[in-house]
Amino acid sequence: MKKKIFSLLLVSALSLSVLAGCGSEPANSSQPADDSQSGAQSEQSEQPEQSQEPADDSQSAGGKQYEGVELTMWSMWTSAEPQAQVIQEAAAAFEEQTGAKITIEWKGRDINTVLSASLEAGDKFDIYEDDYKRIAQIYADYTLDLTDMAKAVNYDSFSYPCLNNQVIEWVGHLNSIVEQPQVGGIFYDKDAFANAGVSAEPKTWAEFLDACQKIKDSGVGPIAQDDAYCDFAFYHQLVRHLGEEKIGELSMNGGWTGSAAETAAQEIIDLVNNGYFADGVPDAFPSSENKIGFGQAAMIVCANYVTAEVNNNTGTEVNWGLFNYPAVDGGVENSAAYAGANSLAITSYSQNPQAAFDFIMLLTTGEFDQKMADTAKQIPADTRNTAPAVLNGTVETLLAADAPMSWCGGLYENADLKSEIKDRCMKLFEGKFATGADFCKSMDELY
Amino acid sequence: MNKINWKKELRLLPGYIIVVLWVAFTAVMLCWIVGASLSTSREIFSGSIFKFATGLHWENYATAWKVQNVSVFFGNSLLYSVVSCVGVLAIAAPAAYVLSRWQFKGGTALRLGLVIAMSVPVIMVIMPIYSLVVQLGIKGRILLILLYIMLRVPYTTIYLLDFFSTLSKSYEEAAYLDGCSGPNTFLRIMLPLVQPAVITVTIFNFMSVWNEFFMALIFTSSESMTPVGVGLLNIVNAMKYTGNYGGMFAAVIIVFLPTFLLYIFMSEKIIAGVTGGGVKG
Amino acid sequence: MRKNKAMIFWFCLPALLCLLIMFVYPVLRTVLMSFFKVESVTAGLSDWEFYGIGNYSKIFGSESFLTSMRNVMLIWIVGGVITLALSLLMAVIITSGIRGKNFFRAAIYMPNIISAVALATMWIQYIFNYDFGLLNEVVKLFGGDKVKWLGTDMKFWAMTAAFIFGSVGYYMLIYISGIEAIPQDFYEAATLDGANKFQQFTRMTLPLMKGVLKTSITFWSINTTTFFLWTKMFSPIDTEGSTIVPVVYLYDIVFGGKGVTTRDAGAGAAVGVVLTLIIVVVYAVTNRLFKNSDLEY
Repeated sequence: MKKKIFSLLLVSALSLSVLAGCGSEPANSSQPADDSQSGAQSEQSEQPEQSQEPADDSQSAGGKQYEGVELTMWSMWTSAEPQAQVIQEAAAAFEEQTGAKITIEWKGRDINTVLSASLEAGDKFDIYEDDYKRIAQIYADYTLDLTDMAKAVNYDSFSYPCLNNQVIEWVGHLNSIVEQPQVGGIFYDKDAFANAGVSAEPKTWAEFLDACQKIKDSGVGPIAQDDAYCDFAFYHQLVRHLGEEKIGELSMNGGWTGSAAETAAQEIIDLVNNGYFADGVPDAFPSSENKIGFGQAAMIVCANYVTAEVNNNTGTEVNWGLFNYPAVDGGVENSAAYAGANSLAITSYSQNPQAAFDFIMLLTTGEFDQKMADTAKQIPADTRNTAPAVLNGTVETLLAADAPMSWCGGLYENADLKSEIKDRCMKLFEGKFATGADFCKSMDELY
Repeated sequence: MNKINWKKELRLLPGYIIVVLWVAFTAVMLCWIVGASLSTSREIFSGSIFKFATGLHWENYATAWKVQNVSVFFGNSLLYSVVSCVGVLAIAAPAAYVLSRWQFKGGTALRLGLVIAMSVPVIMVIMPIYSLVVQLGIKGRILLILLYIMLRVPYTTIYLLDFFSTLSKSYEEAAYLDGCSGPNTFLRIMLPLVQPAVITVTIFNFMSVWNEFFMALIFTSSESMTPVGVGLLNIVNAMKYTGNYGGMFAAVIIVFLPTFLLYIFMSEKIIAGVTGGGVKG
Repeated sequence: MRKNKAMIFWFCLPALLCLLIMFVYPVLRTVLMSFFKVESVTAGLSDWEFYGIGNYSKIFGSESFLTSMRNVMLIWIVGGVITLALSLLMAVIITSGIRGKNFFRAAIYMPNIISAVALATMWIQYIFNYDFGLLNEVVKLFGGDKVKWLGTDMKFWAMTAAFIFGSVGYYMLIYISGIEAIPQDFYEAATLDGANKFQQFTRMTLPLMKGVLKTSITFWSINTTTFFLWTKMFSPIDTEGSTIVPVVYLYDIVFGGKGVTTRDAGAGAAVGVVLTLIIVVVYAVTNRLFKNSDLEY
């Protein structure tokens, strides 16, 4: 028995020393990127080092101008996701082309919990990914101004003006490059619409109601709605009637009663009462959106990723279409559509900003962007590329968008109350409020 | 084997019904997860997994193993649990021994401090620790191991302290007369005497670290240091966007199986650990 | 036995350091922080701005925080009573001399070794599913109307039920060991005195298990105040009012959730302090209630 304990302690001492070794080891020693890197290094020795060249030459020239440069990228994906595989390939290609070494750390979607602290602490990384609004509003102090580098490659000519302008409006300059643009609106099953005899995409609320009725008559639950997206759906209605700024004021200070929010809520309640929602709405995510794939619902208010989600979840190829949220009578903001992006940014203290920027460009344009769009079923960041079939028309919609709407930005302005507000939005879709005024009264009770 | 006493069994019937129903429900859940791991997303979402209309989709397991980092997550959890258990013991056992044996300046205060620390919730300490960790730039697996060790020290010390106090002082006196030094007495004589308690508390610590989630979520800054719980959450989140729910449940099973096998072989020990640790705490 | 001062010092030092680094310093800093306006959790002391009780008035004026407190109280009291009662019931059944005792004990404990992430996903996508879920199948069997288990008014209870199911096995084990520690001859004597099973349970088992009950209540209190994962799972995209709990509230305001660009670490610290105070009160009360728990037998 004594021996046993002794050996236990011995093992403990041993493992503690092993541990110390573990800690100092670089976290990503097993990344496949390393293989290509060693290849690149052997080639490096054969070619003389070239001086730094303007960014736009880097891809075509293929010279090893970033020999010895090490870039670290913090990704918001997990290595399991298709985006990660494309990034991995792009990194390998970049290493091959330029001789740089890229280390990618997969942080997952909770990256926002570590980013601000890490940036403040000056952690060693060059490129990071996150929501472009957070990059603009939280991390701007630690993020590089990309205006000049973007100008050098004529970035404006192949990107989405509405997204770039939005960033400039927030920060005063461009500090992120779009990787995954998103557009919102009503995504619908074209076949279901055709079967119901709805030939034109509804433009006004009246046309929308008419379409709902026709679809309902055809035996399909018109609108799908998952609980998790109730606030997003209702936000559209609110924006039409109030505009984002006014919603922000209301969410901060209250005063919903007597505002146009009453009308907006009433219109949702009417949808519920008319049976324009699919069975079970609001359902637990993703049950309701899946109903579109199962032919039990015809449309949904969401962002573009809903198309790929539904197709994959249900194993079907829905004939997707997209139209902007209909205009309402007396609306103040009748054309806005949700537009957002997950973007790439460079830390302000990066040692190799130009190399980082060149890699970002390689990833978000041309071949790799197309690959990203195809494998991850997302909208291409490079407007010269084509969207995958499920996202037909999204590039055009996003290019034409002049008034981008944020993701519930107005409602979320009150970070403290957002979960309560969300709860009331869900209740609205559940039909728990008899009138729009009741809804507003319940909202005002929060303040 | 004794003969079945039907009268007695009949009297126990209500009890049987309750536990059988409970266990049956657990079994249904498990079967569903296994069934889902062999189905397509469409089958899962149309509620037809047990029909296996499109056959058994073993490829879900292949995808889960290849694409997801299940093995990495699992290895990390194992590393965290094992190393922190050993580390905790190395710190807590000597302290418990000394505290149980001698009255000394600050001893009572330390003991009281440890008792109070046991009831401090993690969220009370997490923010300063986070900021400290960022300032010091501690990263990687070592970070979580250190945190888990420090987190478990108060409980383990207090637990072992009780056991050391029950040991007679004659052991040490005999050892002292034999010329055995203090630390040696502790290592060679006293520690082996409390071995059952050490095993119990270690199993308890192991389970606590294995199941810990909140700190793991906050402090794991990359996939290479993610333990199973957070890793599974990442997989679930990724699945929401890629729609491969079959693969997700396959990952669940892959993670569950080794634990389950371990549990089957060690359930007596584990249960003893949980109850021993629980009752004394 | 001689006092070996050097040994005492070196044996205690690591434990003392753990205590100081992991508990004393953070607790003090969190308390201090709760009286300051601090935006980022990593902000240095120089960036702190004295705020008095501003953080406390903010959280107690926040409907979200109050809801989260209400929710956690419900989980603690209602969930606690149900969990502990069910665990006790299971423990009594299993120690009543049924066959397959070890099997049942292991099987009932088993949900504890499945990852909660997996369990929650299964509850949400299967048990509570509106269209084909197990519960609604049962409801339909009895001719009822399908129930929206995950609607805003039921979701909280759905989550609590799932949580209870996962917890019962653990407390059952604690109770089993408590019951088995009671000498069998006590019962034999009681049976000779003509006490029936129920009387034996209320007059003997329960009082003798005071210490175990206290432990289980303490454990339950700690588990509920740190409730986090189940809420995360039951509100998949973003926190919802129906399932919010204080730790999630803290997580959101300290680290920022989806679409949120403001952070408030000071208020987070205040949440931590409030929760800790509640735990202290619960400790004191349970200790009072179960005062003479050290019954010798």
